[in-house]
This record gives sequence, structure tokens and C-alpha cells, in this order.
Amino acid sequence: MIQNWYDPFTAGELWRRIFSFLNLGVLFITLAFGASEFRFDWCERLVGTYLLTTNDTRPETGAVWESGRQTSNAHKSLNQIITRREDTRRSAQSAESFSHLAGSLRPGEWVPLDKDLFKVLYLSLSASAGRKVIDPSHLVWLLNGKTTDRIFCEGQADGVKLYFIDSQNRVIHQIDLKKNAIVEIESGNAPLKVQLKEIEAFAGRIFPAEKFFDAVLKLPTEMISELMVDPDLLLKQNGTIQQVGIWNEAENGYIKLGFEFEYRGENQVLLIQAREWAVWQLSLLLKAEPQ
Amino acid sequence: MTFFLRAISLVRLFFFLGLVIVSLGILSGIFLIFYLAGDLPKLPSPLSRIIETPQSLIYASTGQVIMGLGERKAVPLEMVSKDFINAIVATEDHLFFEHHGMNKLRTLKGLYITLFDPDKVQGASTITQQLAKNLFFSFEQSWRRKFKEMLVALQIEAANTKEEILNAYINQIHFGAGAQGIENASQTFFGKPALELDLAEASLLAGLPKSPTNYNPFRHYDRALKRRDIVLERMAVAGFISHPEAQKISATRPQLHKGRMDSRSGSYFLDALIKELIQIYGEDVVFHGGIRVYSTLDTRLQSFARDALTQGLDQLDTLMGLDPGEKDRPQGALVAIDTGSGAIKAMVGGRDYYASEFNRAMDSRRQAGSGFKPFVYYTAFQKKGVHPGTRMTDKPVLIKIPGAKDWEPQNFEKRFNGNMILKNAFAQSVNTIAAQLVGMTGPEAVTAMARACGVKSPLEDVYSVALGTSAVSPLDMAGAFSVFANLGVKHDPFLFWRVEDAFGRVLFERIVQNKNVLESGVTFQVLDMMKEVVDTGSGRSIRSLGFGRPAAGKTGTTDNYNDAWFTGFTPSLCVSVWTGFDKKKRLKDTNGIGITGGRGAAPIWAEFMINAMKGEPERDFAIPDNIRFEAVDPVTGCAPKSTGPSIVVPLKTNQAPCGREEK
Repeated sequence: MIQNWYDPFTAGELWRRIFSFLNLGVLFITLAFGASEFRFDWCERLVGTYLLTTNDTRPETGAVWESGRQTSNAHKSLNQIITRREDTRRSAQSAESFSHLAGSLRPGEWVPLDKDLFKVLYLSLSASAGRKVIDPSHLVWLLNGKTTDRIFCEGQADGVKLYFIDSQNRVIHQIDLKKNAIVEIESGNAPLKVQLKEIEAFAGRIFPAEKFFDAVLKLPTEMISELMVDPDLLLKQNGTIQQVGIWNEAENGYIKLGFEFEYRGENQVLLIQAREWAVWQLSLLLKAEPQ
Repeated sequence: MTFFLRAISLVRLFFFLGLVIVSLGILSGIFLIFYLAGDLPKLPSPLSRIIETPQSLIYASTGQVIMGLGERKAVPLEMVSKDFINAIVATEDHLFFEHHGMNKLRTLKGLYITLFDPDKVQGASTITQQLAKNLFFSFEQSWRRKFKEMLVALQIEAANTKEEILNAYINQIHFGAGAQGIENASQTFFGKPALELDLAEASLLAGLPKSPTNYNPFRHYDRALKRRDIVLERMAVAGFISHPEAQKISATRPQLHKGRMDSRSGSYFLDALIKELIQIYGEDVVFHGGIRVYSTLDTRLQSFARDALTQGLDQLDTLMGLDPGEKDRPQGALVAIDTGSGAIKAMVGGRDYYASEFNRAMDSRRQAGSGFKPFVYYTAFQKKGVHPGTRMTDKPVLIKIPGAKDWEPQNFEKRFNGNMILKNAFAQSVNTIAAQLVGMTGPEAVTAMARACGVKSPLEDVYSVALGTSAVSPLDMAGAFSVFANLGVKHDPFLFWRVEDAFGRVLFERIVQNKNVLESGVTFQVLDMMKEVVDTGSGRSIRSLGFGRPAAGKTGTTDNYNDAWFTGFTPSLCVSVWTGFDKKKRLKDTNGIGITGGRGAAPIWAEFMINAMKGEPERDFAIPDNIRFEAVDPVTGCAPKSTGPSIVVPLKTNQAPCGREEK
């Protein structure tokens, strides 16, 4: 049997080697390490604590952060919608005319409109222009009756729609105002820089002012007030009336009368609405007299 | 001695070798920690931030919340039943209060399996690890993901108390049926706060997170109870309850909250609603914006609709001789619309949402059969001056179609009845007369009319449109028939009234606008004929089933009995019902006879309407001023003989029977 040089020579030396300080130390440390870990979880604590120190430098990734980002995006989107709507609402509420109102709404945008504001806008028009928007007696019922709960405005590419809705959100009356129509309604009182003879619709029905007013004054008093719905428009106009024309077509019970004014050498025509039946009576008188 | 020495040497060798391996393992672990630490997700602080996502709420028209989107109704631990806390801890991680984020023995076992059986990644997740996974990681199974999850779990443990962790966990786990968090789950399944859950209910809920879909008690009640028994057993083993107590509770069957079940069955409706909201506002706003959506759904009607459809389809199974376990069973759909506004009050898109989420009420397009005839008759009445009293002849018809084969329509009964007035032709659903009418008007006018009524499905301008060969959805039909109920006034169907943000600021508000699309007098004439269908025609089963209110409608059956329809209305509610197989397959009874709309769909309609209209005042359809009624001979359309049969037809002021039109 071969004896290796590093083999122990005696049993005592063998035991000494087995239970050497190094062996026991390593064994003890290993066992202490393992047992303490199982008992106190210090590895987990150590790693956890270390990771806590790096927390702020790490990326915000994962479902919970994604969810946070989505929430943030959602709030941004909602705020944009609300802000835009509030801006539109403010702009609409500060409107001084229907054209301003139409201009404040982009297609598809809608805002509620105060009934009082609608009244203000409506009353800013002359009676005849207002009638083109809605008949005043109908409006009285819509605004002063119990039917209308709110008014909604919806922007259109070519104007604005106004919805009178009841408490069930049902549309009880709708007004479609095209931009062109609004301009016409609002500027309807401005005189046209033309002569009556240049407007084809008056052809054959143009009368000298004296003759026209002679005939008018022959009408019964109550009929005169019905004839010209907005005489104040005529009073406001500068210049002298030269001729008066009667439009060739009635519209909703009204016929346009054209008054040609001469002011500082320039001729202008002011169009006003007159009751159809009163104009018809007037026409009989005008035709009866030689031109 | 030598052997002993060698043994000692070997032990020493293995010990030091093991030590080296463990040391290397530790070093690798440390390396991995440093390597992966920078890539780990940041942990929110405090942890409660994870449950601060605002929920979007969907309300029924009746006011109750029917769904929360992204909903996490967080409650503190003190507001949760102790039984639930014990149950979830016993089931998911019974050493939760003892470990520090990981269960070392289970982790070592998992590691061993992962190393030596790579195909099988062993889970050993503690509650903290599950929380880490739910908050930050995908469900991808890999050692890298597991290791990261473990590291985050350790950080969560280092930064929070056990109570905080448990609180976060129970408030964010999914229980199925759209319920996230214990409070929602408790409300969804039992209609009570989490604090009031008893042991039977708590243990049932604690079993759900393992597989919320498979254990969904609304759908798999018995499966959920079996899972609950496992939970109870673990509670007993963990010492939270005694074994006899576990057995006692195991014998109970907790009552599920039926109200929530009803609203859940509106999932077809909710799916459609959410889809539309996403189209308008985007997913982020819908799921994370905390918006409030006021839907048109009437939970009472929805419940009736679900019951009527389920019951009707079961009866259809019986009629067809199908076993309850049969996989290939007919489907159905029902849509109910408020005729006065267009609001969709109820919608069921199939017999079981959980078996098939395909919404047949909106997304399925099927041939309407004779259900399309009202559009044909209206067009002919309006364009060709015919009326319900006009006489026509039921005879073989051949319509020449330029560039195509001549069309020779057949009647359902394969026989011809000779002369008859149009009112009878409509009530008896005579195909040859409908074909003659479309021959008079041209198919383009008919499809244009259907489109004017709101049919959105693509329609083909072909002569066979008279017999409903164009495919439409039940929603199309209900929306379009509402126009008849309203005497020509159209309201577009819609799913919600109003949308607000979390602060009550209005994002959208529906206004109901009347659009006059049909002439009221002509519409009434068609409506009157549709009343005849219900009273004496192909839909008379409605009367025999006990629905006695004024109603009008039209059955529809396709040639090969693939589809059976009934769309009908009262003055206030319009309902379309479709039944048929998803695949093209005949509906036939045990005698091999095809099932018509009158047999397959009308009973469902009647069952729904009987319940839906309960308590509503009975009213008849309005009659336009330009309509008068005259009795005519049903064959000739002229004045009836004193002893002969007569039928009353509505005529407009300029119309007269027997071809004597008034000018």
C-alpha cells in the first residue's frame, strides 16, 4: 500500500485535519450564512434595499406606468375637448350678431345658447329681417311658452343651425341660417348702390315718389301702417325719395318695396317689406291713376 | 483506513465544490441583479398610486351603473371581509406574512424544474410576486421575466408593509366578468360590499383569480364551486377554519347577484357602445379618462330581451329536435328601439355572449325575406298611385331583366290565388305581387326608399330585392320599421344620450331630431297592412300567444329557410328578431318542414313585448288627416256585395276603391 506524502500518518492527525479551524470556520460560516438567510431573509432585504436606491433612475415601464400614461393622455384629450368647447361657448355667448355666432362655430361644433342672448340677437335685427329668421309670434311661443328648454347651436360648413329643444332633448323647432342668408338678413337694411331701373324684379312697377305717396295717403290709415312694416328704416335714410318700385314676387305674405333715394348726387335703393294684401290695394290705386 | 480517508476526502471535495458552485451562483446572482437592475421598472411611490386610475362609468337609462371601465374601486383592508383575506392568503400564498417577497423553497423547486425540464417553467409566485407581475410585466413565461419579477417583488417588500402589499393586491386582481378589485367583484357577483362577504361567498371569490374566465360563476357555477372547495380545503390546512366548517360551507350554494347578471347580459350592447365611444374619443379617454356615459339601455327591457331570446331559442331547439348539448344550434338576435327617439333600449346579439361575442344584432347581415316588402309596397303606393284596395293578380310572373336571366318568382306555398287586393297580398306575403310591384317601380326606387328609412347595409339594386334578397342587420330592420311606426318620421338609432367628463362637463349630448322621410298618409296605408299581418296574416301567432295591443309588423323567411325574421312595433317600441344558424343551414322542424318567421321569430317577439309593455298605457297608431277608411271586396277591391266578404282599407283623400281615383 502506498502512503501519499500528504496523507495523515495517524488517526489523531486525521481528526485534527477534519476539525481544523479552517474547515470548521468555513463550515460554520456557510451554515450561519444559510441559516441566517432562511431566518432573517437578509439577502432579499439587501437586494430590495439596493433596488430602492436605484428606483428613481429606472424607466417608467410596465402595465401600471402605461396605464398612468394613458390616463394622462386621456386627461389631455379631454381637456383639449373641454377647452375648445369652452372657448367656442364663450365666443358664442359674446356674439353680437348671427353672423358673429355663425363665425364662432366650426362645422360640427355645438354650444348651448342662452334664450336671452337669442332674444338680444333677434331684436338687433329689424322686424322684417327678424321675420326672415323666425316669425315673431312663433318665437314668443317658443321662448315665453313652456316648450323650449334650451337652444343649441351647431356649426355648419355654410352657416349655423339653431335647435330649440324641450326638456326631453327633442327638437321642437329648427332654424337653418346659411351664411349668405345671414349676410343678407343683417345687411338687408343697407341701401343698394343702384337705381331701381337696374333691378329687373321692379320692371314695369316703378312709380314716381309723388304718385306713390299720393296713392298711399289715399289708403285707409290702418292699411298704411300695414303697408310699410318698418317705416323707421326710411326715416333713417339720408336723401330724398325719387321713385318707388314694387317687387314682382311675394314671399311669405310680404312683397318688397324699393325706395330710390338721391343723396349727394348718388342714387341708392332701400328695400323694405310690405304686406302683400296692402300692396295689392295700393297697386289698384296706382294703376287707376295715369302714369 | 484508506477507504475511510478517501470517503472523507470525497466529502470534503464535494463540500468545497458545492461551496464554489454556490459562491459562483451567488456571484452570478449579484451580477444579474446589477445587470438587470437598470432595466427594472420604476416602482410607484406610494404603492397606492396604482389604484388611482379614474374609472369610466356607463349608466343605464334607468340610472344605475352597468359597467365601469378601467374600474378599480379601491377599499382599505379594514373594509374587506376577514374571510376573504384569509381565503386569498391561504390559496395564493399561505406564508405571505412570513416571507420577504419570495418563498425560497418553492423558488428553488421552481428553479430546479426550470433548469432540468426547460419546457416547463415552474411558477412559485408569492402574492408580492403576483403583484409585481400584474403591475409591470407581461404574461410571457421566461426565466428572465421571472427573475425580474422576483427582484421587483423584493423591492416592493422593502418599501411597503405587508398590509400595504396585500391591500394593493386585492384591489387590483381580476375576478372576471369585468370586475377588477375585491370591491367590484363583491358588487358584481353578490351585490354587496366586500366587507359583508360571508365565508361561502369569500371563498368562492378567492378561487376566481386563478382563472377568471374558466371559473366565472355566472357561466360555470359548478366549476366555480369546485374551485371554492379547494380554497376551503387550503383554509382548513392553513388553520384559518376547521375541516368540519370547510365541509359545512362546501355544501352551500351562494346566491349570485341577478341584477348585475342582467346588465352583464347587455354585453353585446356594451361592446357596441364601447366600440362607438372609442371611435369618437379614442381608447385612452374611454378606458382611462373617467368619463360618464349615459346609455340608452333599459335594464328591465334588456332582461326581458335576454329571457325571451333564450326561451325562444330553446323552444326552437325543441321544435327542431336538437339536444341541449348539441353544439350546432340556431342563433338569434333581438333589438328594441324607442320609436319616439331612436334610442336602443335593448340588444341581444346571440344566445350566449360568452360562447360567441359576435353581435348578430348589429354586425350580422342576413337576407330579410318578405321582411323587405313594406319598402316595396310603400314605393309602389307613392310612385305608382296604387293603394291597399288596388286589385292585382297572384299569377305566374316573368320579369325580363336586361342582360340577365329572366326572373320568375315563386310563392312560398307554390300556388297562385288569382285576384286579390294589395292589403291581402301583403298580409299573405304573396311574392308574385311584390315582384309585379317592384317591376312597376324598378328596384332602385325600393332600395332608395329603404336607405331613406335608415337601412345602412349595402343593398343591391336587383329585382329580387322585392323578396328581401339583400342582406340587412336586425338593427337596420328595427330602425327602418320605426319610421313606419312614426308615420314617416325617422330617428337614427343610437346607443347613448350623453357623455360627460369626470367633473360633469358635457362632452356630448344627443338631441332628438325628427326627419320626415316618408309621406304620412302612404306610410299609414303600409302600417295598416302591417297591422293585418299581426292580426290575421303570417304574424298572427303573436295574437295567439297573448299579445293583444295594437301592433304591426312583418315576418320574413328566406327561400331555403335559412333565416326567420319578425320585425314589428307598437306606437312606442320597435323590435326586430332574427333567428337562424350562423352557417347557412335550414331551420326545419322534426318533420322536416321549414320554420318560418312566424314560427321561429314571432314567438320571441311576442314574449318580449308582453313583458316590455306591461304597465305602459295602451294606445293605437295615429291616423293622418288625409286618411279615410272604406270597406271593399277583398278580391275585386270594389264595393263589397251586401252578403259577401269585405275588408276595410285606408285610402287617401284623392284615392277611391275600384280604380275610381278622385282627382
